[in-house]
Amino acid sequence: MCIKKYVKQMSMQPFYRVTYMVLFSLIFISCKKKVIEETVYDNIIYEVNDVAVYGSNVEKTKQKSTNQYISILYTDLFNQAISNNELAEISELTLAMGDKQTSNELIISHYLNSPLVNIPTNSQMRTDVATFINETYVKFYQRYPTEYEKIYLKKMIEDDPLMTAENIYVAFALSNEYYFY
Amino acid sequence: MDRRKFLKASAIAAGGALAAPYILPSGRLFAASGARIVDHVVFVLFGGGIRNQESVKQQYLANQGLPTQGNVMENMLTGAKPSQNLVYTQWNPILSNSLASQGTLFPEMRYKTGPTGHYNGHTVGMTGNYTETGLNLNINPEFPTVFEYYRKHYNPAKNAINAWWISEGLGPYPSLNYSRHPSYGSQYGANYLRPATVFASQLGNKYYGDASSFQPDDVNRLEKVKNFLDKNFDKSISDIPGVNNVRADMEAIKDLYIDILNGVIPIDWPLPNGVSQSELTGDLINFAAAWQVLNRFKPELTVINSFNLDICHSDFTGYIKNLHKADYGVGWLWNKIQSDPVMANNTIMICMPEHGRNLMPNNLYDNNGLRAFDHTSDNNSREVFSLIVGPSSKVKQGQVVGTSTTPVGESIDIVPTIAHILGFHNDIPAGLLPGKVLNQAFV
Repeated sequence: MCIKKYVKQMSMQPFYRVTYMVLFSLIFISCKKKVIEETVYDNIIYEVNDVAVYGSNVEKTKQKSTNQYISILYTDLFNQAISNNELAEISELTLAMGDKQTSNELIISHYLNSPLVNIPTNSQMRTDVATFINETYVKFYQRYPTEYEKIYLKKMIEDDPLMTAENIYVAFALSNEYYFY
Repeated sequence: MDRRKFLKASAIAAGGALAAPYILPSGRLFAASGARIVDHVVFVLFGGGIRNQESVKQQYLANQGLPTQGNVMENMLTGAKPSQNLVYTQWNPILSNSLASQGTLFPEMRYKTGPTGHYNGHTVGMTGNYTETGLNLNINPEFPTVFEYYRKHYNPAKNAINAWWISEGLGPYPSLNYSRHPSYGSQYGANYLRPATVFASQLGNKYYGDASSFQPDDVNRLEKVKNFLDKNFDKSISDIPGVNNVRADMEAIKDLYIDILNGVIPIDWPLPNGVSQSELTGDLINFAAAWQVLNRFKPELTVINSFNLDICHSDFTGYIKNLHKADYGVGWLWNKIQSDPVMANNTIMICMPEHGRNLMPNNLYDNNGLRAFDHTSDNNSREVFSLIVGPSSKVKQGQVVGTSTTPVGESIDIVPTIAHILGFHNDIPAGLLPGKVLNQAFV
């Protein structure tokens, strides 16, 4: 539509011609700018890559506080930081229950019901189990799996067609190692 | 020794070795705990700091310069209610017979040493040891809690779901479900719950309301993977703070919480007919939730507290109101217990304030011109009462033990008394519990 108008105006006086050219350029530049913004936005999401920082789990000697656990869990499940308000609320809720694992499981269950949670689909997991395992270890444990861990977990997934990525994520989030850094 | 004699002697020795744990009073390996009086104990830390003047002495406003006395705790104590100068709305008692008439009252117990602070009082009541802990809050107590004695020494061992600590407030109180004693700790701790946060605030609904317990198939998969992951890490579960339930119990606890939050279980409030829910206090909410736990899990050992009476620091009228309401809550809870086929006639309830309050008022007056009272470790704040209620075949009914001139009982006596009721007192190592069993209460 913009192009049709531009062609129609070609026969008009130079002043109007220039004006329409400027307007057309502005529209064109605006559209181009929008594309750039989208590209940048995508980069922001995918550039937050997990990085393996531990050579092995022996290096983890300190226990996460409740706030650290929840905060890291949130980041691992949603790829973004938890708000201070939500962290404070969950911290209070956790304090109100003596069994922290039960409390954490309820929170995890709540998060898994969120449409924004970032968990691979089962088909994604099964398409490339080895990559899924590698990425899950790096995401939750900040280390690469050992050869033994790779083989054993891969077998566990492949032997059970009903094992879901969600099952694996929950198990990692509730595992002892995840409570330490 | 010939072969036959040797074999005979060996057989006797082997038999003795096998039998010994059963007959040694302190043998822990196989020895079953002693006989129980009942299977369930509910210990109500009737807290917030209550003066004997307004409770067992039934003096009401007599210490405020008004000539009005009377019993504001008609469910727990026997005595006529005040008839004039009413600063509270009188609720008809829910019990036709007071708890004092259904058990033994120790009206003059003593909190002998240590600061009369709330956390101290709770710690003393739940550990059976006086404590000097002052400002060092938010840490688990030094001596084992009654939960740990119960779970470590009762044989056969009981899961954590059998022991509950249900508190009105947060602050340092979550720390009282297990101690930092090196021989005990979280593996013997109780489940802790603060209902006002989980059920009565928006937080529970917001974060747990849409949660669900894991389906059995998912539990198996989850446990399988988790076990694999845990085997590859050298820190054990005991390094993680808090009490741990076995998987089935965890799912059961989640189910209860989710059911309550989603309204699957209608909450029965401890309120007289026709009284608005706006009259609910934190104490009453706590009693209501405690009943949900008792009703679902039938725990053997439960400790519940009230706390709202602490308003007495600035509002004596509010203190009387909350005392009256908390008394109603205790009566309501006892009624519920007696309506339960498992717990009725098989439960002993013990009520004791964590400490008293001062004899002399502070400088504050409430809207009715009544003076307020603190609790700063004077002798009056060391005066408490205890009420032990249970089946007539087990607990002496209508008995009063001790007077102001000959007080009987101390705050540290409740833990050994609970251990006695549940049959594991003799299994607790010597030196840990300085108090004694309140034997006078039992048939």
